[in-house]
Parts: sequence; C-alpha cells; structure tokens
Amino acid sequence: MALFPLTSNFEGDFVLQLVPVDTENTMDEVAAAAAVHSVGRRVRARPGCILRVRRQGADDFLPRTMKVVEAGFMPTETVEIIWEAAPH
Amino acid sequence: MALLNRMDWYDLARSTNWTPSYVSDGELFPAELSGDYGLPQGAWEKYDEPYKQTYPEYVKVQREKDAGAYSVKAALERSRIFENADPGWKSVMKAHYGAIARGEYAAASAEARMMRFSPAPGMRNMATLGCLDEIRHGQMQLYFPHEHVSKDRQMDWAFKAYDTNEWAMIAARHFFDDIMMTRDAISVSIMLTFSFETGFTNMQFLGLAADAAEAGDHTFANLISSIQTDESRHAQIGGPALKILIENGKKEEAQRRVDIAVWGAWKLFSVLTGPIMDYYTPLEHRKQSFKEFMEEWIVAQFERALTDMGLELPWYWEQFLADLGETHHGMHLGSYYWRPTVWWNPAAGVTPQERAWLEEKYPGWNDTWGQCWDVIIDNVVDGNMAKAYPETLPYVCNMCQLPILGTPGKKWNVKDYPLEYKGRLYHFGSEVDRWVFQQEPERYAGHLSIVDRFLAGMIQPMDLSGALQYMNIAPGECGDDAHNYAWAEVYRAMRAQRNAG
Repeated sequence: MALFPLTSNFEGDFVLQLVPVDTENTMDEVAAAAAVHSVGRRVRARPGCILRVRRQGADDFLPRTMKVVEAGFMPTETVEIIWEAAPH
Repeated sequence: MALLNRMDWYDLARSTNWTPSYVSDGELFPAELSGDYGLPQGAWEKYDEPYKQTYPEYVKVQREKDAGAYSVKAALERSRIFENADPGWKSVMKAHYGAIARGEYAAASAEARMMRFSPAPGMRNMATLGCLDEIRHGQMQLYFPHEHVSKDRQMDWAFKAYDTNEWAMIAARHFFDDIMMTRDAISVSIMLTFSFETGFTNMQFLGLAADAAEAGDHTFANLISSIQTDESRHAQIGGPALKILIENGKKEEAQRRVDIAVWGAWKLFSVLTGPIMDYYTPLEHRKQSFKEFMEEWIVAQFERALTDMGLELPWYWEQFLADLGETHHGMHLGSYYWRPTVWWNPAAGVTPQERAWLEEKYPGWNDTWGQCWDVIIDNVVDGNMAKAYPETLPYVCNMCQLPILGTPGKKWNVKDYPLEYKGRLYHFGSEVDRWVFQQEPERYAGHLSIVDRFLAGMIQPMDLSGALQYMNIAPGECGDDAHNYAWAEVYRAMRAQRNAG
C-alpha cells in the first residue's frame, strides 16, 4: 500500500492530469480515479460504456483486475483511459 | 563649429575596438558571456546594423515618445475608462502587465550583456539603446497600471507576478531565463531580439494596441504603440549577427538557437495572447482571429525574415502552422478551468454568438473544444459549481512549463511526449519541447515543474489552498469568471424555453 502518482490522458478530454492512486488499486479503480477529474467536468459520461486503461501507444488494455504494482508503471507514467462498450 | 552629419562619423566611431594590452582577448570577452563561435574579431567587425541611431538622436526621439504616452495618460486619468471597461478587457490588461512588465526590466540585463560582451562593436551600440529601451518599458508598464492598484488588487500583479511561483510565471521565467538571462551575448541577440521580438512581440504589441483602441482604452493603446516603436528598432540587433554566423560556416548553431527560441515564444504566446484575442476581447471589438493575425503578421513576415537571412524554416514549421488553430484553445480552456490559479479573471467567451464566431474561424470548434465547454456550461447553469472547478493539477510540460494538452472531443489527439533521462521521467507537451530538452539535457534537467514540486512535497497542504499559498495568490487576487457567469443566463433561458416547449 503506497500512494503512486500517474498521469491521466482521458479520452475526449483536452489535458493530461495528475491522478494519485494506490499501488494496490486495480486498473478499474485507476480508471475510476481518473474519471473523477474528467467525467462530468469536461467530458460527458457515456452510458453503456466502461473505462479501460492502457499504456500510451499500446493497442491492448491492461487487465481490469491487474494492480498498479503489477503493471510496473514508472511514477507519473501516462496512462490512457479509454471508453469501451460494456460487456453484455 | 558645424557638427558632422551622422553618417560621416558613425561607422568609424562605433567600429572602434580596443586592442587590449593588460588583459587577453579571452578575458575581455569571456566565452561564457561573449559566445564561443571560434570567429576572428575581424568577422564581428563586419556587423552592420540596419537601423543606425546615435545617442543624441535616441534621447530626442525617446523624449518625444515619452511626452506623448505620458500626456495621454495624464489627460485620461480622470476618465472612468478602467471602471467602465468590459471585465474581459481588464483581464487583458492584468495578464499583459503581469507577464510582461518585469520581464522587460529583466531584458535590460540581457541587452546590457550584449552592450558589454558582444564581440561586434555595432551590436554594442544598438544594445546600449536597447538596454535603455527595456528600462523604459519596465518602468512605464509598472507606472501605468499603478493608478489602478487601489481599485483592483489583481492589478498589483503587474509588479508582483515575477516574484511568485504562480504556474504561468514559472513558465514565463523558464522561457526568459533560457533565452535571455543565461545565454551569451550573441545567443541573446538571436534568441531574444531576432526570434522573440521580431517574431512575436509584434503580435503582442501591434495586436494589443489595435484591440485597446477598439476597446476605447487610448492610454493603453498609446503606451503599447510607444513601446512597439522601440521594439521594432532593437529587434534588429540579432539579424546582422545571424548573417555573420552564416557567412562563417556557423549556420547550424544559428539555426538551432532560432528553432529553440521560436518554439518557446510560440508556446508562451499561445497561453498569453491566444485567449486574449479569441475569448477575452469583446466580440464586437475583434478584428481578426488569433490564427488569422498570426498568419498575416507573424508567419508571413517571419518566414520572409528567415529565408532572407539564409536560414531554413524551423524543422517543425508544419506542426507550428497546424498548432496555430489548436493550442491556444486548450490554453484558454485550461486557464479558465484552473482560474483560481491565475491573477486575472478569465472571460469564458462562449456565448452562442461567440461560439458561432469560433466555429466560423475554427471549423470544428463545437465538436472539439465546444464539447468540453458544453459540460462546463451545464454545470454552471445547474449551479453545480464544484464540478466547474478543478480538484487536481494539470500535468505540465518539463520544457514550456504549460499544461500538456491537445484537441478534445471528436478529434481527441492528446498525447504525452515522455523521456527518461538519468532515471527521471520527464513529460513534454510536444515533439518539439522534447527536442529542445534533448539539445542540452543538463541545461534543463534540474528544473522542477509545478507538478514536480507538488510531488516533492514542496506544496503544503497538498490541496488548492496549499497551491494558492505556494503561488502567492492572496485572497482577493484569485481569478474567477470575468463576468461573474452572467454569460450563462442565455443558456439558462434557452434551457427554460426547451423545457417549456
């Protein structure tokens, strides 16, 4: 358990933002923490969508249950938070 | 005794160089201060300034200029132009004075470095006058706003801004420290006078003077025009130095300095001038969009200046031209959303009429920046103000120190340009910002951005109150909406009408 800074690049928003998370947070929790600073502020919520996390430039999302500590991020590394249609 | 005509003696007098006998040339002109280009002294003696002026001529002209600007100020002092001005216009003045006045004073030191340490005698003469110019600009741009300090605390930032760690001032200081406070005399002539002043201050001063006249602020218009006439003279210091470098096989070094300074200047103007022209200036007073102004006054003129000189356009020119239609919209949105952290009150500038103007000037605006503003407008109309303010920091670039941003909404293209250097992860707002860092990493690597300082625990408590304290923004100085959200009424009415229908 340790505070860990990430940089959020949120789909549809205009600016990178600092988002403090915990090393034990899952990727879903990282996405939720990033959403606090974008959704309902400058980005509209998208009903029927969930948010996924990927490294900048990567095609694949990181597993939703993967923990920050397992992802091997550098402090302040930029992650992209991307809307994805919710699984049915 | 009849006086000689200026041109009968000027060349001889200003070319006089000492032949040092008590010290070496290297001691008289140390490389750190004079530049280390390996050129013989004779090469620098060919420096030929296009604008020749003697000290008596300078004093005569400047005295007249001062008399003009100060008499307009005195005549209009009892008018209520300031009190009656649109709040957006007041914000223009506050942003301008804070970002510029003390920077001008600092520029006197940069000019003084050219005056004393330039190996080119002609440059030393021009920089003597340039130094006096910058002292004048610093003094005037502190004296003129001073009459408003008692009316509005934010006007105090004309003097105060440079002494603070306010984020935009960190950005301004980082840029000016880089191009004028920590460079040799020749580099200063290229980076400050040729790149920054020729390239960009025309925009701030010509454009702003026109806007001021339109807004009825004749004191400010006169002041700015008076300064611009000095700028257009001393901005010519760098050109002949570039010519000498190019003629002596140093084009690459010259080009690199131009490329670095032009990019930094562009980023600074994208946050300072872009929002002023496209959002703060009342719609009825806007003559041109920021992009149109840049294309007409800066791009065309600067392209010509570069190619006439024998230089190439900076390698990132296509990117720069594309960014003219984008970057400043993000800078405006950022400074508006984080408005408690600036010393002026940003005007939103997004009424339906203003949005129509933005869409006309920047096709696609509504589908991009407009989408972010839609959410902000909804929050303001709903009274959901907690969501209309930030709760974290924007990530800023380790070069320009401004937020890392891009186009939002349907054309979302925001991207980080990271670089790991000696175990530290740096973030940049563009390929160009990162390239500047890579030219001389040790020059920049030790600097901490506002976000780095926050993460290092230098800002306590780690919330908005701590940030405001760190930035030295006192109560009553915090920025908020220039029009106290009056612009949102039209949206409230539109919603009521929709609901009724």
